[in-house]
Amino acid sequence: MKPEEAARLLHAYVDRELDAAKSLELEAQLAADPALRERFARLRELSAGIREKADYHAAPSSLAARLSAALPGAASIAPRRATRWILPAAAAALAAALAVGIALVRPGDEDALLREMVASHVRSTLGNRLIDVASSDQHTVKPWLSARLPFSPPVADFSPEGFELAGARVDYVGGRPVAVLVYKRRQHLIDAFIWPGSGPRDGAYSRDGFNVERSSVEGMRICLVSDLNRNELSDLARLLIARR
Amino acid sequence: MTDRRRFEQQVLPHIDAAFNLARWLTRNDHDAEDVVQDAMLRAYRHFEGLRGEARPWLLAIVRNACFSWIRRNRPAEVAAGPDEEATAPADGPEALLARELDRRMLNEAIAALPLQFREVLILRELEDLSYREIARIADVPIGTVMSRLARARRLLAESVRVIAVASRLQTEK
Repeated sequence: MKPEEAARLLHAYVDRELDAAKSLELEAQLAADPALRERFARLRELSAGIREKADYHAAPSSLAARLSAALPGAASIAPRRATRWILPAAAAALAAALAVGIALVRPGDEDALLREMVASHVRSTLGNRLIDVASSDQHTVKPWLSARLPFSPPVADFSPEGFELAGARVDYVGGRPVAVLVYKRRQHLIDAFIWPGSGPRDGAYSRDGFNVERSSVEGMRICLVSDLNRNELSDLARLLIARR
Repeated sequence: MTDRRRFEQQVLPHIDAAFNLARWLTRNDHDAEDVVQDAMLRAYRHFEGLRGEARPWLLAIVRNACFSWIRRNRPAEVAAGPDEEATAPADGPEALLARELDRRMLNEAIAALPLQFREVLILRELEDLSYREIARIADVPIGTVMSRLARARRLLAESVRVIAVASRLQTEK
């Protein structure tokens, strides 16, 4: 690879847009060329700096209200509060089910389950973000969740790695109460759905512009849902698994 | 499910992305709100045409609405962009240290970028879109996305450095 070619491809490499063959070629070049390495480091720093420090202009709530009035047809989003009353009863039933060991997911339910989680994520990002306990302190969040669930989910803040714990809520998906940890990365919100059990499939999934990353570790199922890109979403999955 | 309900579930959650792009392109809250509202209503009318992911689809509509607005209100901005295709990417350094990257300066420098460079930079760095998605939104080939992004980053590094030097001189006076 010629130096000009390498310099040109550096951007695509930083953006993780280079195919495997070209990446290998460029990595060999990087290993051999300190000046190129220096450029790469600066470029990555610039990109990270922009992501961290450039303003992200979230839509003012007045805009959503204007839109809601301007769209034809009646607003049909049920307030998320509607699910609240179900929770205590369902949690009690579930605790009973768990006690006798019935908590298996049939493989055919998996797709429905993913849809439910995406829907839950979407509902909670519309209007006011629903966080039942807002705290970046795992020592606040973990006991709060443990007190409301028949299991104790792993809770950790990953601010140093760029995933700030914003809080948590309890939700009800797939016929069971689940813990939802809410993380922030730049302006993206990530919901981490956690419940005891094992899943038929791990891996990535995408729906309506949202990415879902599924993994399981030590008897816990972890599903991340966000509009964040897949690479960074799997970074968080790895952190959560390592911490467990 | 009604159209409106599907729209609310699939498209409306991306309103922040829509506003962020419009705000960076128009550089003004008020205008961005108007443009996004028009774009959203337009998106609703063309909702049955949505294939694949909603966010890039919506951003393409918002982007076009912004460009129409800019053409009407600030025609010079659309016409005057330097042509990045004519020149091979110069071997300019993106040299810049993160600690020099003051938040205010950085935002000013991005806002000052020519429109076609600002556009790809925002879509890439703030919206995390792939080159392919950006190419579709900006309606240019992927190679152009790459060269514009490279140019945008060099211009940005350069202007942040200039602003940093100028402000240092200011404080030394």
